[in-house]
Amino acid sequence: MEVREIKALLVLMRDYGLVELEIEDKKGKVRLVRGGARASIEETEASSADHIPARVATSIKMASRHVEATTEEGSKAAGKIDLQPNQKLIESPMVGTFYRAASPDSAPFVEEGSSIRKGQPLCIIEAMKMMNEIESPAAGRVIRILAENGNPIEYGQPLMIIEVV
Amino acid sequence: MFKKLLVANRGTIAIRIIRACRELGISTVAVFSTADKDALHVRMADESVCIGPPAAEDSYLNIPAILSAATTFGADAVHPGYGFLSENGDFAEACQRSGLSFVGPRARHIRLMGDKPRARRIMKRAGVPVLPGSEGTGVTELREAQVDAKRLGYPVLIKAAAGGGGKGMRIVRDANELARLFSLAQGESEASFSSRKMYLEKYLERARHVEFQILADNHRMAIHLGERDCSIQRRHQKVIEESPCPILTARLRDKMGKAAVRAANVVGYSNVGTVEFLLAPAGEFYFIEMNTRIQVEHGVTEMVTGVDLVKESIAMAMGEPLAFKQRQVTFKGASMEFRIYAEDPERHIPSPGVVSNHHPPGGLGVRVETALYDGYRVPVHYDPLIAKLIVHAETRPEVIARAKAALREYVIDGIKTNIPLHLKILHDPDFNRGEFSTDFIRRYEPRAVEAQPAPSQVSKAS
Repeated sequence: MEVREIKALLVLMRDYGLVELEIEDKKGKVRLVRGGARASIEETEASSADHIPARVATSIKMASRHVEATTEEGSKAAGKIDLQPNQKLIESPMVGTFYRAASPDSAPFVEEGSSIRKGQPLCIIEAMKMMNEIESPAAGRVIRILAENGNPIEYGQPLMIIEVV
Repeated sequence: MFKKLLVANRGTIAIRIIRACRELGISTVAVFSTADKDALHVRMADESVCIGPPAAEDSYLNIPAILSAATTFGADAVHPGYGFLSENGDFAEACQRSGLSFVGPRARHIRLMGDKPRARRIMKRAGVPVLPGSEGTGVTELREAQVDAKRLGYPVLIKAAAGGGGKGMRIVRDANELARLFSLAQGESEASFSSRKMYLEKYLERARHVEFQILADNHRMAIHLGERDCSIQRRHQKVIEESPCPILTARLRDKMGKAAVRAANVVGYSNVGTVEFLLAPAGEFYFIEMNTRIQVEHGVTEMVTGVDLVKESIAMAMGEPLAFKQRQVTFKGASMEFRIYAEDPERHIPSPGVVSNHHPPGGLGVRVETALYDGYRVPVHYDPLIAKLIVHAETRPEVIARAKAALREYVIDGIKTNIPLHLKILHDPDFNRGEFSTDFIRRYEPRAVEAQPAPSQVSKAS
C-alpha cells in the first residue's frame, strides 16, 4: 500500500474518530492505530510534515513496516500474493542487501518477463560483503520482481515470482 | 555517541536495551526470528529485521545473519544482552572486525572467563580465594575425576569447564555417584558447549550464592556496585535475587567487594560484569566464576544504587570514563527480583501458549520488566522467562510485604506461571528471617513420580 493511500486513510480515521483500522487487499494487510504507545525520535520530523498528529504519524511507520511482515507471512500461509499453481515465490534465504545486477554498471540479471533456466542467477543478496547469487530453482519465466534494487532484505522476504514451465 | 544500535536479543532484555537507547537518543534495530514476528521488542524498536527461522542456531545465534543485519541497516554498535551470543568471544571479535562496537568486554576477557579452570588459576594467583578443586586445565577422564574427588573429599561438584547456566553440573556424594554422574554431566557439557572438559570443586554445604556487580571503563578503572544474594535457585538457576544480602556485614561486604574489583582488575576487565562467590556459613568466601555480560538480575542493583547499568554499559562501550568513584556509590533500601517463568508451578514444566489477559502490578517501588501483552503467544522455542518483577522499599520486611501484594495483583491468564511458588517462598519463615542457602528451594520441589512410595509401603507407613 502506498504511503499516500495510508495518509488518506488516516484523514478518514480522524474525521470519523476511529482509533483503529485494519484493511486487507491483494497487496497485503495494513493496520492503523491512532495514539499508540509508541513515541519515538522521528516525532518532530513527522509532525512538521503535515496535519497528522505526531503519534499517528509514527504509527504509520509502524504500520507500513508491518505491511512487509504481513505480506511475507501471508505469502507463506494464506497466499496473499496470488500464486498460480505453476508459479513459485523466490524468498530471500538471508538478511542482506538486494541487487538486481552483478555490478552497478552491468545489466540486471533478469527483468519481468525474462525467460530463465534452472540454476540461472536471478539476483544477488549482499551479506557481510559477500555477494550471494540467488539461483532459479526451475526453468521458466520471471513474472514479478517484488524487491527494489539496493534495498535491505529480511530473511524470508519475497523477492520474485516465477512461472515454472 | 552511537547513532544506531542493533539489539542482538529478544524478550525482556531486548526491551530493556531499547528503552535505554531511547533515553540516550540512540536509534535501535531489533532482530527477530520468524517465531517472534509479533514480539514486543520488534514493535518497540525503530527498525526491525527478520534474521532467520525459529531455531536459535539459525537466528539469535547466527553470527553472519546478525552482522549482516547490522551492516545492512547501518548500525554502529551491537548490544548482546544476556544468553545467546553474549558470552561468545568469537561474536565480540567478529563485531569489532566488522567495524561495530560490541557493548561488553573485550573478546579475550570473554574467552578467559569462559574457560572456568583458567579463570580459577588466574584468581588464585591474584590472591582471590577459590574453592579447592581440580588443578590445571580440568579433567576429561573418569579416572582423573576419581583422583581429584578422593583428594578433595566428598561431596564434590562436577562442573563443565566451558559451562554456565547450570548445564553439565552435578553434586556427587560418593564414588558410585561419581562413576554414574560424570559421564552424564560430560554428555550435557558436550551437547551444550561442545566440550568434554570438566572440573571438580569441593561442594560446600549450606553456602549462599553472593555475587558482586562490577562496572569498569576502558581506562582501567573498576568499581563494584554492591552484592546480590542469589541463593534461591532451582537446578542451579536463579529464581529470586535480592540486594543487599540479608546476612552480609558492612565489613564483609567491603572485603568481598574489594576481592571482586581485584578479580576484574587483574585481567584489565572493562564494561559490566559480575563476580560470583560462594559464601560459607562461617563467613569465608570463594570465587566461583565471572559473568562477562549484563545479568538477568541487574535490576535489583539498579534499585538500591540508582545506577542504570544498561546505560552505563553503553557509555563504557563508547569509551567514556567512569562518572563516579567507589566511595560515591551509596545503597538505599532493599530490593528483590522475582523471575516469572511460563511454567506449571506444580510440575515445573514449561507452559507456552497465548496470554489472553495481562495485567502487571504497579505502585511505588514496583517495577515490571516484561515482553508480554494481551494476545501474545509465548513461543515454545526459547527460554520460559517471561517477566521480572522487581520490588524496592526501605527495608527487607517492607519489600516482602510489597512483593506479596504485587504478585497477588499480577494477572497472566492463558498460561501457567510460577507466581504461586514465589508466594509460597515469601511466606516461608526461614526466607523471612533471611536464613537460607542454595538448597533452599528443594523443600518446594514436586516429588518425582518414581520417588513416591509404592502403595504397599504407604499402608505400612500409615
